[in-house]
Amino acid sequence: MSMPIRLPSFALLLLFAVSCGRNERMDGLYAQRCLGCHGLSGRGDGPVAVSLPAPIPDFRETVERKSTGQIRRIIAQGRGIMPAFEPALQPSEITDMVQMVRFLSREGREVRWWEKFDVLVVAHCSVPWDIVLGYDEPAEEKSR
Amino acid sequence: MSLPLSLSPVFAAISALLVCSVATVGLAQQTAHPPKAAQRREVRIPIRDFSLTDQNGREFKFQSVKNKAILVAFAYTTCPDVCPLVTAAMRQVQQELSAPERAAVYLITVTTDPEVDEPKVLASYAKRYGIDPSNWSLLTGKEQSLREVWKNFGVKVHRKARGLIDHTSLTAVVDSAGTMRVAYLGTAPDPKLVLKDIRAVLIGRKASG
Repeated sequence: MSMPIRLPSFALLLLFAVSCGRNERMDGLYAQRCLGCHGLSGRGDGPVAVSLPAPIPDFRETVERKSTGQIRRIIAQGRGIMPAFEPALQPSEITDMVQMVRFLSREGREVRWWEKFDVLVVAHCSVPWDIVLGYDEPAEEKSR
Repeated sequence: MSLPLSLSPVFAAISALLVCSVATVGLAQQTAHPPKAAQRREVRIPIRDFSLTDQNGREFKFQSVKNKAILVAFAYTTCPDVCPLVTAAMRQVQQELSAPERAAVYLITVTTDPEVDEPKVLASYAKRYGIDPSNWSLLTGKEQSLREVWKNFGVKVHRKARGLIDHTSLTAVVDSAGTMRVAYLGTAPDPKLVLKDIRAVLIGRKASG
């Protein structure tokens, strides 16, 4: 029988939250994978955008209206001629891209009070709760 | 007689200059440079037969479409740079072909990233672009098999990271005898120009037939 691992979950959550701010890894990912079309600020004015057959929307407006899950799905599965990054990137890298898109969408506008908690929401989703809370193996596994 | 494209020093120099490069530096260092127009070169390079796997997981033999005019491009699905433009240009070419032309023309996209571009990934890519699969195959395969194809077309491929590849951006028109006749290098070719070149190849096919 495995011993349940119990960690101070609140401290872990805070740790994740602190590490979820905009960082170089996010900037690097955005520069490599997104900037060509979406541009420096997300306006859709990247160097490749002018040659595309359809205009790239300004995601600063669209992201505001979308849930984290919806943004994640677009980045992971692609849309139209936008690449699907799921086959190439780790889930954590897609999370970074979602966060980066959120950060860019907030630049130059007033951030709403609930948006300030996004970092905590992402941190919450990133915590391996089964380990933190010490969930045991399923009953049938135990009986063997 | 012209040199094989992959052996020509001029072509090698152009390829090196035009290798599709992907931004790897920080945001602050980025500068916006719109892609320049593709360079068009008339060539005569015989293409050897090859066998790869299409987007449905089925074997694709190049010789099975050799009696047609073939438009071939090299791209990968997670490319954030020139490949989307190339595929969009090819899509436009496909749409503008008349019904009789569609029967005489075949389009091929060969991946430069077999690590990521499995058949199901290519199928999903084709669907997103609205590609009509009746005369367009997207090909992948084992790296060794692909390397031979890349080499035959003079395409250089360098993996930088998972899903991030530097490669020669080549779109080519191949005639019904399997000889590469026109090479567009650098970025996406103008679909109107490609259609003109394809039609010229089709006229040549009729004349020789």
